[in-house]
Amino acid sequence: MYKSIALIGVAAIALSACNQNGGSQSAARDAIRIVGSSTVYPMTTAVAEQFTRKNPAFKPPIVESTGTGGGMKLFCAGVGADHPDIEDASRRIKKSELEDCAKNGVKEIVEIQIGIDGIILAESNSGTAMKLSPADVYKALAAKPYSKPQTAETWKDVNPALPAIAIKVYGPPPTSGTRDAFGDLIMEKGCNADAATKALKATDEDQYKAICTGLREDGKFVEAGENDNLIVQKLIANPDALGIFGYSFLEENGGKIHGVPLDGITPTYDTIASYDYPGARPLFIYVKSAHLKVVRGLKEFVAEYATAWNKGGYLSRRGLIAAPDDVRAKSLNIATKLTPMDPGSVK
Amino acid sequence: MSKALTMNATDLSAAAPRLPTDWKGDAIKKRIAARYGSERRFRAIGLFAVMLSAGFLAFLLITMMANGLRGFTQTEIRLAVDFPKSALMLDPAALKGFNADQALAGADFEGATATAAEVAFGPDGVHLLSDAAWLKVRDAVKADPGLLARRAEIWVPAAVDIDVAAKETGEPAAEATLAKLKAQGLIKTGFNLGFVTGADSTDPTIVGIWGAFKGSLMTMLVTLVLAFPVGVLAALYLEEYAPRNRWTDLIEVSINNLAAVPSIIFGLLGLAVFLNFMHMPRSAPIVGGLTLALMTMPVIVIAGRNAIKSVPPSIRDAALGIGASRLQVVFHHVLPLALPGILTGTIIGMARALGETAPLLMIGMRAFISSPPSGFTDPATVLPVQVFLWSDEVSRGFVEKTSAAIIVLLLFLLAMNGLAIYLRNHFERRW
Repeated sequence: MYKSIALIGVAAIALSACNQNGGSQSAARDAIRIVGSSTVYPMTTAVAEQFTRKNPAFKPPIVESTGTGGGMKLFCAGVGADHPDIEDASRRIKKSELEDCAKNGVKEIVEIQIGIDGIILAESNSGTAMKLSPADVYKALAAKPYSKPQTAETWKDVNPALPAIAIKVYGPPPTSGTRDAFGDLIMEKGCNADAATKALKATDEDQYKAICTGLREDGKFVEAGENDNLIVQKLIANPDALGIFGYSFLEENGGKIHGVPLDGITPTYDTIASYDYPGARPLFIYVKSAHLKVVRGLKEFVAEYATAWNKGGYLSRRGLIAAPDDVRAKSLNIATKLTPMDPGSVK
Repeated sequence: MSKALTMNATDLSAAAPRLPTDWKGDAIKKRIAARYGSERRFRAIGLFAVMLSAGFLAFLLITMMANGLRGFTQTEIRLAVDFPKSALMLDPAALKGFNADQALAGADFEGATATAAEVAFGPDGVHLLSDAAWLKVRDAVKADPGLLARRAEIWVPAAVDIDVAAKETGEPAAEATLAKLKAQGLIKTGFNLGFVTGADSTDPTIVGIWGAFKGSLMTMLVTLVLAFPVGVLAALYLEEYAPRNRWTDLIEVSINNLAAVPSIIFGLLGLAVFLNFMHMPRSAPIVGGLTLALMTMPVIVIAGRNAIKSVPPSIRDAALGIGASRLQVVFHHVLPLALPGILTGTIIGMARALGETAPLLMIGMRAFISSPPSGFTDPATVLPVQVFLWSDEVSRGFVEKTSAAIIVLLLFLLAMNGLAIYLRNHFERRW
């Protein structure tokens, strides 16, 4: 009995010793650390994997999916081994985040657009083949459409041309970047169709945001969690329902669901790449300039990203839509020269 | 005594003469039937409850097995690679020296595999193979540089849609391709060794569970080494030495409360103390273990105190009576007798820690890590978090891998509970 207790004691001491090692080890980190958007996560992990295969000398990068906002907090917390090197973002950095970064010593940041993602509405292949406009979507899903109380029960209530099917839409929760993008890209577009509401933007922006992007909470819009696979399953089980998610899920499940056209434009690779489809948004990565010289492999990682985002590159198989040629050329230029972004360009 | 009773009876019968119980009467028959009926109903309800929970368990296990066992197999395609004719510029001699990995990294295996696939299966041949097929070709060459001099046939993983078609019903196009490959004898489905030895990947055909399994093992080890001694010593002190006063009451209440605190709170505590204050590495098993140890320790203290309490005082008194010191009483008698109970409590606490995700998400153990951890401070993930990450993946191939990971997690739990039962029986002593 004594012996085994002594053993446990020794183990505990050994552990506390290796504990202290851990503290000093973290000061010199040899793997790239990446945080941020869950939308960019599958792209970044694919690049990370390819990077490791091509450069066996470097340690595999560590990619964490924290959401764009959560990632920005970690990214902007400071410079040094304890803080991540790259931030994945499904939207542009905000001014407040940039200020937060500058306050913590993260002064120079390289901003690279990696491609385009589409927010799409989809339905089951056995569904009614709906054709919508952003205004229809807004009127059906807003908590207070054009400041009036929400009364729509069926799509026919929204637009007499639509079938009398009960409104049922599955979508992501408020913590998701996809939800933000849905609000900014599709809901706001529908919201601006009303001149009075559009005018509100100049006078009372908070009120405008609440009216335009607040979703109804009476069960017609269902928050299905961050798991987009679940939304796909729900759509197959319920042909009258619609779902909101990223384009990559539409591509992967093409045999079961199809995109709903908005303003007569079906979401496809080409319509999203040309920004014709209303739900297209750019995706970014942000790299800390101060880390470029210190973290081994960081430059090579950015270079690997630059080879992957072209048309037909391996990222296109993961649902990334290549940016137009001129944007890609600009991104490539930034990725090779690693020019820091101009903080003044952020609104 | 009997007189008093008869007196009493006569008093009663004075009002209404007491008749002997009529066991044949309708009223009593009804009452007896009701008694038996309620007993039968209770038994039926109890049996139903057991059947219901057994049914849920069976449903879980059967669906997991049905989906997950496929995850342990892999469809492979036989690919003929003509190395001398391929565009591979590689000197076999270079593969024997120190720089073998560097030489292999520089060679274009991806292109060579694509060309070989086109030769063998037509212009769309590349899409039949997994994106990682060239890694298998590279490994084969690394294992036997002699291959470079001749035409070789190598089994490489098939693409996800072919894999799905081989195991269940896939897309019609993939099914047709599969039938064609089968007719040529170019396809086989076998045990997927890569799944039990590999780590996370973005490609379901080469993904592995070992990285997460090792992460779980390391995290559990840290938790055990910290929580077990601290928990047992705390329980011993509180039961055997601590004076009964307001302070020990306060500590007891605090420990009971701590055991009931939701696990996410421990995650926030770990984030604030270990990462932000002590600057320990993010995503490391050591931090995960420390956080889970905080969560497990109160459970061990409570189980330990109950086990120590149930050791009969006569054993303590006997030992003290023949001159043993307090310390000897505790370590020679009380602790060995209480050990089965303490161990059971510990394993239950550890099993809870093994299945925990919430606190680990807070300290960054949800990262994509493509190599198994090699030390306690290396970034790692754990089994339940891996299940969570895979369930969110886009590719269809990950569905069966998620179930397979759940099976591994269940087996791990089963092994731990088995160990608990063994230890309990091994140390159990009767008096």
